Formats: sequence, C-alpha cells, structure tokens
Amino acid sequence: MAAEKSLALFRSRLCDTRFVHSAFKSSPESNYSKLKFLISTSISEGCNNSVLLLGPRGSGKAAVVDLVLEDLKMEHPDAISVIRLNGLLHSDDNSALKEIARQLCLENQLLFSKMASSDDNSQFMIDMLRECGLAHKGVIFVLDEFDLFTQGKQRLLYSLLDALQTLTSQAVVIGDADQLLEKRVRSRFSHRKILFIPPPAEDIQRLIEHLLYLPRESSFSPKYVSEFNSRLSNIFSDKKFKEILNSLLDVDGTISNLLRFLFRAVSCIDMDSGFLSLENFKSAHLCTQRQPKIDALQGASILELYILVCMERLEFKEKNSYNFTSIMKEYKAIHDAYKTSDNYANMVCLRAFEHLLDRELISFTDSKGWNQPIEFRPVKLLISAHELYHGLKSNSACPAILQKLFDHESYK
Amino acid sequence: MGNEEKTPQATPKRATRSSSSSLATSPNPSIHPQTPPSLPDHLLFPQPPISLSQLLSNLPGRKPQILDIVRLIGPRNSPMLPLLLYGRASTGKTSTVLQVFRHLNRPFVYASCRSCHSPRILFETVLNQLLLYNRNKRDGYSSTKRCERPSEFVDLLRDALRKLGSKETSMIYLVFDNVELIRGWIRSSGIISLLFRLFDILKIPELGLIYVSSATPDAYYSMTGSIEPNSVYFPDYTADDLHSIFMRNQENPKLYSSFLSVVLKPFVRVTRRVDELATAFEPLFRKYCEPLTDLKLVPDEIMKRRLFVYLQPHLAASLNETFSIPLKDSFEANKEGVSTKTGSIRKKCGGKDASAELDFHMSVSAKYLLLSAFLASRNPATLDAALFDSTGGSSSRKRKRKSSQTSIDNMDDKAEEMLIKGPGSFPLERLLAIFQCITSLSEDALEEEQIGDGVTTINGRISLMSDALLQLSTLCNANFLHKSGSCPLEGSGRYRSTVDEDLAFKVARSINFPLSKYMYRR
Repeated sequence: MAAEKSLALFRSRLCDTRFVHSAFKSSPESNYSKLKFLISTSISEGCNNSVLLLGPRGSGKAAVVDLVLEDLKMEHPDAISVIRLNGLLHSDDNSALKEIARQLCLENQLLFSKMASSDDNSQFMIDMLRECGLAHKGVIFVLDEFDLFTQGKQRLLYSLLDALQTLTSQAVVIGDADQLLEKRVRSRFSHRKILFIPPPAEDIQRLIEHLLYLPRESSFSPKYVSEFNSRLSNIFSDKKFKEILNSLLDVDGTISNLLRFLFRAVSCIDMDSGFLSLENFKSAHLCTQRQPKIDALQGASILELYILVCMERLEFKEKNSYNFTSIMKEYKAIHDAYKTSDNYANMVCLRAFEHLLDRELISFTDSKGWNQPIEFRPVKLLISAHELYHGLKSNSACPAILQKLFDHESYK
Repeated sequence: MGNEEKTPQATPKRATRSSSSSLATSPNPSIHPQTPPSLPDHLLFPQPPISLSQLLSNLPGRKPQILDIVRLIGPRNSPMLPLLLYGRASTGKTSTVLQVFRHLNRPFVYASCRSCHSPRILFETVLNQLLLYNRNKRDGYSSTKRCERPSEFVDLLRDALRKLGSKETSMIYLVFDNVELIRGWIRSSGIISLLFRLFDILKIPELGLIYVSSATPDAYYSMTGSIEPNSVYFPDYTADDLHSIFMRNQENPKLYSSFLSVVLKPFVRVTRRVDELATAFEPLFRKYCEPLTDLKLVPDEIMKRRLFVYLQPHLAASLNETFSIPLKDSFEANKEGVSTKTGSIRKKCGGKDASAELDFHMSVSAKYLLLSAFLASRNPATLDAALFDSTGGSSSRKRKRKSSQTSIDNMDDKAEEMLIKGPGSFPLERLLAIFQCITSLSEDALEEEQIGDGVTTINGRISLMSDALLQLSTLCNANFLHKSGSCPLEGSGRYRSTVDEDLAFKVARSINFPLSKYMYRR
C-alpha cells in the first residue's frame, strides 16, 4: 500500500517539469531568479525587453519559463497576459498571427473569428498591444523553438519586434535559440541572453534528493518515511551509485536524461517492501545503455550473417561499389571453397538481403535509384568491421566458419 | 460548406445509427441504458480483460518486455513519460502492446501510421476515436473535425482531452504504431518532431504516449524533442521461443512437436521471422501428415523416423523457396479453353528444382516479347547480326578461335561490369526486330510439333505488330520491362528488362525456346 502511494508520488513528480525545476528556485544564482528579475523589472518599469534563453535540449528552458510566469501571475494577477507560440506548430506567418490573435481574444474574453485575414490579425494585434499599454498591462510573448521561426524571411519576428519598439506597451519576448537572426531583427532585439548549462554535480545531488525524498508531512506513516529516506541516503553515498550517475551524466548531462533514468529506476520499485534499492538504479542504467546495432546482429539469422561477411570481404578487397549480384558471386565462391551446408538459392538470399535493408544494417548508396531492380543497386554496409566482429562473436548460433573467414580477412 | 465542425453524436444514438441507415421505418430502441456510459470506456479493448499469467502465456518469449512495459505504464491514474517500443518487424510489438492494454483494461487510442498514411488522416483518426465518432455513409465518411495542420491538431487534442478528462481523472493512452514510416512522408521531420514532443507541448499529465517502431531509436535522434522516450527493445525470438510459439493452439501437440524438431533447426538458419516460418511450415506439415491415416495419434520413435524420411526431400526443396504463399492446388484443373497457354503451378516434387514451372498466366506472344527483351538487355547490340541471321537460326560460328589470356581477362572484366551495371537498355526498334526474328523461327518449330493437350494451337503468324505493342504496355505495368527516359533526338524511348535469368529460363522452357543458344556467354 505504501509502496504504491510512493510510486505514484514519484511518478507524478518526475513527470511534472515544474516540480523538478522548483528545486532551484531558492538559489539566487540560478536562471530562474535571473529570469524572474528581468521580467518583473520590465513590467514594473514599463520598458520593452527581449531575452533569449540558450541551452541544449532538455535543460529545462521551457520549464523555467513556465515557473517564472506562474509565480508572476500569482504576484501580479492582472498585470500580465501571456502569448505562447511554438515554432513547430506556428512556423508559418499566417498561422502564427492567427494564433496570436486567438490567444489575445482568449485572454480578454473576446470572440475570435477564424476567417480573419492575416492583415486583420496583425492590425488587431497592434491595437491590442496599444490598449494593453494604456492599461499598464504587460504582454509577454513566449516563442518556443525559436530557431524554427528564423527560417524563411522572418517576417513575423520583424513585425513583432517592430510593433514592440514603436508602441508604448511593455512586452517581453522570450526566445529559445541562437545566431540565426537577420540583421534587422537582431537590431530590434535587446541582446540579453541567459545560458542554460547542465548543472554541476552538487546541484544534481540536490536535485535528486529533492525529487526522491519523501516529505515528512505527507500521508505516509512517519516510520516508513524515515526508513525510506535513510535507505535512500545510504544508496546515494554508495560509490557504485556515484559511478553510475557519473557515467550517465558523462554521456548526456541534461536534466531530462536524468529524469528518464530516475523514472525507470522508480518504476522498478519493489512493491512488497516499498523501498528503492541500488539494484533498481543499476537495471535502469543498463536499459539506457543499449547498442542497437549489436542487438540487431544478435538477432540476425545465419544466412544474413553470411551476406554481411561477404560484403565485408568485398569492402576489404576495396571494391568501390558492389551490388547484390557481386555479393552472390562472393557467396558462391565461399561455398565452393569451403563446401558448407548453407548453400541457398538466389531468391532466398535476396529475401535475407531485404531483411538486412529493413534492419538498416546495410543501405543503398544511391538515394533514389533509377528504378533499377534491387539486385543491381549498389549497397554499402552501415556497420563497421569491428561491430560485425563483435556481433559474430556474440551470436550464439554463428557457425565457426564465418568467424574464421572474418579473422582471415581483417587480421591478415 | 461541409467544413464546419460536426458535433459528435451522443452515445445512446450510436446504437440506432446502423438501423437508421437501413430502411427501418422506426428506429429501434437503443440497446444502451438511458444514461450514456462514461466515455473512456468506449476506448477499452473490446474483449474482456485477461490476467497477467494468461498474458504471459499468450505471448511466449516476451516476458521481460511485458513486465517492463507494465511497470513503465504504471498504476492507474499515474502519469508516465513517453515510451518507445522498438524491434524488428514481426517480433510481436503491436500484439504485445494491445494485449497489455487488454490486461490493464485502460482506455487507449490506437493509430497506425501504415493505414493513416498522411498527417491529416493520422490526426483525424486520433480525434475521431477520442470523440467517439464513427464514420458513416450518411456524411460521406468524413471525420468529425477537419484537421490538417499540426497546430490545429494540438488545439483540438487539448479540447478533446479536456472534455474526456472532466468526467474522471483517468489516464488516456495514445498508441502510435509504425512510426518509422513517417520518415518517408513529405515534411516528415516536422511531423516526427511534433509526435515526439507532444508530451512537452501539451503538458497534460493525463495523457500517456506510446510509440511503436521498427527502426532503432538512433533513427530519431535528430528529431526527438527535449523529452526523449524511454525505450523497450524487442529482441528476435530464440529457437526455443519459436518452438513455443508454434506449439500454441495445436490439436495434436506431440505430432506437431516431432514435426518441429525436424523442421525448425534448418529453417532457423535462414530466417527467424515468425510470419515467414509460418507460411513455410504450413504446407510442410500437411505433407508430413500425409502418410498418417489418423491425425490424432501420438507418434512413437519408429513412426517419427519414417515420417522424417518421408519429409526430408521436401525439406530441401522448401528451404530454397522464398516463403511465399503458394497458389491453391486445384488450379491445375482449370486449364482450359483460353487461347493462352497457362504455365502449371509449382508442382509438388521431390529433390531439386521445385519451381521449374511458372506460376502465372502469360500469353505466348507476351512470353516471346519477354524473351526478346531479356536478350536485348543481355546481349550487346553488335552481336545481333551474328545471332539472328535472316533465316532465324542461330549462327554456328560462335567461337572459332581460342581466346588468348588477355581476351579472357577482358571478358572477365566485362562480365564484372555487367554484374555491376545490370541489364542494358535498348530502343524499341531493336526489341521488335529481335521479336520478329525469334517468332518467325518458332513458328516453324511449332508447326512441326504435335500439340495434343487440348489447348488451341496458335495458327498462322504469331502476332501482328500492334498486338506486340499492346503486350509491351502490359509487360511494363507488370514490371518486367522498365521504360527509361527517352532522348528526343533518338526517337522512341529506351527500355530495360528487369527479368532475372531464372525467370527467363522458366519462360523459355515453357515454350520450348532454346534460350541459352542466344545468350552472350562470357
């Protein structure tokens, strides 16, 4: 019972990005505070501001923005209205203007007509901004996936920033990308940037504790809470855990990667005892470390392995381009030389060849092909000899002769 | 006009829709109770839920994956990060995910990117299911809302989820199947990014997202958003798993397991896919049971031996086929009357060449045309005069001189080149010239033979030129010939034959045409 409740609690915590990033609320140095300061000053002082948030994917830019806006809304309930645009959805100028108009209508309880043209919409936007300026209401534009807005002619950005410059309204534009702006747009953009870098180790530790410690005042029994937390701190101080964490963060230090890892670990919680153990973290770590190509090689049938080895031999002989018929020639040559039992007809080999194409272990070198039949299009291997070697070794059903052929080649 | 929103029908009316579209005068009373059932229930799996042990036994060999998925989906009403299931084709991903939902008994929406082959259809399918809208004839099979762009989809999805979520706070899961096919659509990167970032964009914790793909996650690395999905890998089945899969639902388990012990090992060397093995095993099992009079008996050792010996020649033949589903055996009886000569189907035979015969219809003139195309592609044009002299016979002055070493090397190189480049292209006139030559030759040959199997003889000249041109377009449509782009200076277009040697020899054998005499042999 307690296990289920704690599981549910953890899952909802990990899936809620706002909770995750509220760990950093308190520290003054953090991005949260900087952003909050910036926006609140621009609102209270009535100046136009634009700020750019930069950082790799998954570092929580959108989450921090949400947090800040939520807090500001609570503090100054009527003074802000927020318009969100997403580069993925609204990359087209017309649809973006429509979306702006729609959200403005929604904020101010006006009716929105779908049939308005883009000129109408832009006029409406300018009017609204002016109104808001008169009413001392700040408008904050949040542009997600900013780099997608900067494709094309950037007309939208230009008109938006232009409108902000010329009107007596306060608006803060929060974007999300880097050096792709045109000159005229950049000139209207006040160059404030906030950088989101992956947090250093102590912060990570603090974050994990924030996420995984059970709160004392909750509905759990206090004995369970203290037991759980003490076990957890034991795990955290364990060297192995630190190793796992380090190797995970070396690959990808962003917060979202950490969240995924924790989510997986938490989902393996032992339902009987209700405690997390080091084993959970270890198995979660294993899951994040798959190597898809080696896996694919393990699942390949023996005929497919033959074809791969033939291709490797052809590449080793430095043929520039080869296709299925030349592979077949090599295959027949092997069989004539070694008299193996795996001699199959052309059509069967072609079927295995197509399977390899599906698995993306090999691919055609010409992208469109001039409608040539499949036997004649040039192909290439998508795995290295090293990977193939390991794959052959790990495939339990692989006949010894293939390994022998392979060894013969690369270690000659 | 027809583009306005259609309000979804209230649920009690759904029962009467089918009767109202027929000619009933009065609608039948609704089968559902007066109060509409809670909406998410309609999204449950249609059959009753099963227990975990039954789930595990239904899908042998998938225990770790099933447990993983169940754990990641988590208890009821608990949010989840998106999940990606990946693995090769025919490894049971779709069936596993559907059975898991049957076991968990939770509402879900399923959309496969194979049947929803454009973004609009995909979006509308999802929305239709969420809004419980059935397409019907009255409205011309249109969807409830028209949704083409991703932005509309996000908004409508949000509305639909809000409507559903207001009744209870249970989770709804969206399952997107065959996601790897989206890469082949136009504007694919936008759609894939949208799908994988739905979790971020929507920020609705009641929505769970599951993606099923045959491509590995690294195919999507450039396109996934900030929340990368957790992935579960479906490895290929091992030989033991395959054994347990095939043993399911067999009437006579002992008999089938003795069959499998004979047959499974050699076939697993060729392929491990369940669908291909199933199509190969079925006729073999029928053959295996042929000598048995009583299908229910349990074979003992002696009997097993005998059955094995009986089956063995067929095994070798079957291994060399391509796991395609053969035509019905009764086809052979219908070979009448038409002026086309039909090739006989793949006969049951022992030992070697099981598919020495063609297994599709082709008219005689089409066969000749095919052979001419094959020859035209294989032989260089300069050899035509030598091979096809005016009497139609092949020239006998093939190779008089002993080739020197350099010319042998040259010929080897040319052979290599031909292997790489593939069949050459030829203009239409050359094709027709060769066609004329070989048909005039065979005309004589045919009249000499006695054709006594009830098929009407081909009298007189084989075909007129127009007939040949008609067959040409048929062959192009059947992908035996391929039309390359035509150069305006040269006149008519160039063609290329895409038939491989085996098929050409089969065709030649069926009309008794000595093909090998005409081939340019290295």
